[in-house]
Amino acid sequence: MSLVEVNSWDIVKKQYRYKLKSYLGVFSSLIIIQVLAIFFSLNGTGMSGGSSGTFSYKVNYYSGDLILVFMMLWGFITAIIITTKAYRYDDTSFVTNRLTSHFSNILFLISASLFAGLTVFLSSHLFRLITNIMNVDSIMVNEHTPLQIAKGIIGAGLYIFLFTSIGYLVGMLIQKNKLFSFFLPIVLVGAMYLDGMNNDVLIFHSISLYFLSETLLSLLIIKIMSVSLLFYGFAIILSARMEVRA
Amino acid sequence: MKVVECKNLTKQYGRVKAVNDLTFTLAENKITGLVGRNGAGKTTLLKMIAGYLHHNSGNIQVFSENPFNNLKVSANTIFIDNSMSFSPALTLGQLLETAGEFYVNWDKNLANRLFKYFSLNPDQSHVNLSKGNKSTFNMIIGLAAHCPLTIFDEPTSGMDAGTRKDFYRALLKDYIAHPRTIILSSHLLEEIEDILEDILLIKNGEKLLHISVAELKEYAIGITGKTDRINQWLSNRERIFTHEIGNDDSYVVIKNECSSSELEEAREIGMRISQVSTEDICMHLTSKSKGGIDHVFSRG
Repeated sequence: MSLVEVNSWDIVKKQYRYKLKSYLGVFSSLIIIQVLAIFFSLNGTGMSGGSSGTFSYKVNYYSGDLILVFMMLWGFITAIIITTKAYRYDDTSFVTNRLTSHFSNILFLISASLFAGLTVFLSSHLFRLITNIMNVDSIMVNEHTPLQIAKGIIGAGLYIFLFTSIGYLVGMLIQKNKLFSFFLPIVLVGAMYLDGMNNDVLIFHSISLYFLSETLLSLLIIKIMSVSLLFYGFAIILSARMEVRA
Repeated sequence: MKVVECKNLTKQYGRVKAVNDLTFTLAENKITGLVGRNGAGKTTLLKMIAGYLHHNSGNIQVFSENPFNNLKVSANTIFIDNSMSFSPALTLGQLLETAGEFYVNWDKNLANRLFKYFSLNPDQSHVNLSKGNKSTFNMIIGLAAHCPLTIFDEPTSGMDAGTRKDFYRALLKDYIAHPRTIILSSHLLEEIEDILEDILLIKNGEKLLHISVAELKEYAIGITGKTDRINQWLSNRERIFTHEIGNDDSYVVIKNECSSSELEEAREIGMRISQVSTEDICMHLTSKSKGGIDHVFSRG
């Protein structure tokens, strides 16, 4: 029987299609988390008020921010989940090597992030509708043009994608050595604690500012893509010698 | 062409050598049986060939390439065992379709016919199958993939007798129609010896024998008779197996190297010479001690 020659990119595409079908479970968790996020957002994400004599007022801010934060966490956890053995071994039942498996995972996470970005946009509107029904007098701060909507969805997707890359690296570290699941939270919490000791959160603040203050979409894409590809690259290098069903 | 070539191959788990200094080659389009006791290193060896595990020392080549993490080897090899995992989100029918996308030589017709014959339900999920049906489904994938190197690691575990027979028959028929290199590991040699051409016998990760089945059938003879006479006649000959029958009779298995005059002499002094089945030869060769399980109880 003659040998078959295969092309890596071809296999990546096949695996990507396979994963879209077989990782459906992550989208049902997305919906549940989204409903939770809408529920939490109903109280408003910020509030201010005041009074003078017999007159008092209260202003609630409603935004999709909380939904985005929840989706970022979702992305982080989803990425960790697909680095676990159960998911990695599914690949090995068919044609694969480590690299094609990673690339199809990244492609899957990009699509999942964009999809989650879209749902952030949609559900933040859903809950504005709910607040309307609840008889809150509301003022829409942002009116959206189609271009703004597209930008918003891509931006949200990018932030979620950044978190998938962190999750992927964390997941791979844990797969490499279970001790990381114990030490990584300690390091993170410890670093936050040390960072906030002098009542000004310097490092974490500047890290988040680096990403959040970016108003140009093209620059944001470059910033997030370069950082997340760095994380993914590191995860790929880490897993190079990993065995299957050892 | 050599499909698999191992040279001084060693794989360690901690300090234990699961595969130890193994050297052998498998030629193209042959069915080889990998035989050994539990823990002999069969699965470790097969996983190294399939590219799942990397070796510690020595050299392994599959299709003249290092199989570990190798896409070409993965595309031309299929490794079937009972811990294959498939996504629970897909039904069996969808899994067959997916397999068809990945494996270029996939025989859709064969897969569907086997699937129907074993009356599997295309809407079921792989995780909900019984152990035997899981093995059956994996076997269908293994056969229909028509990979130039097809590896079955204990493929029949959990299958009932009827399904096992059907599987071996299907394997043989498909092999004749589409000759390819097949490695079959099992500890039930009796069942598979009819379809095997070669046997690779390993013990404690080391190679004991790599010969054809025909040669293995002639490998040893059994001698029954009075213990003292046997001892006298055998003198320094190496015994593969000794078993005492009653107080003064013995059954001894030795390598089949005696000349016909020697055997004639043995018959004259009242010993019976018998054939030893391949299953017994392998069992005796790989047994932990020469006395067998009786030894454990005789020390009292």
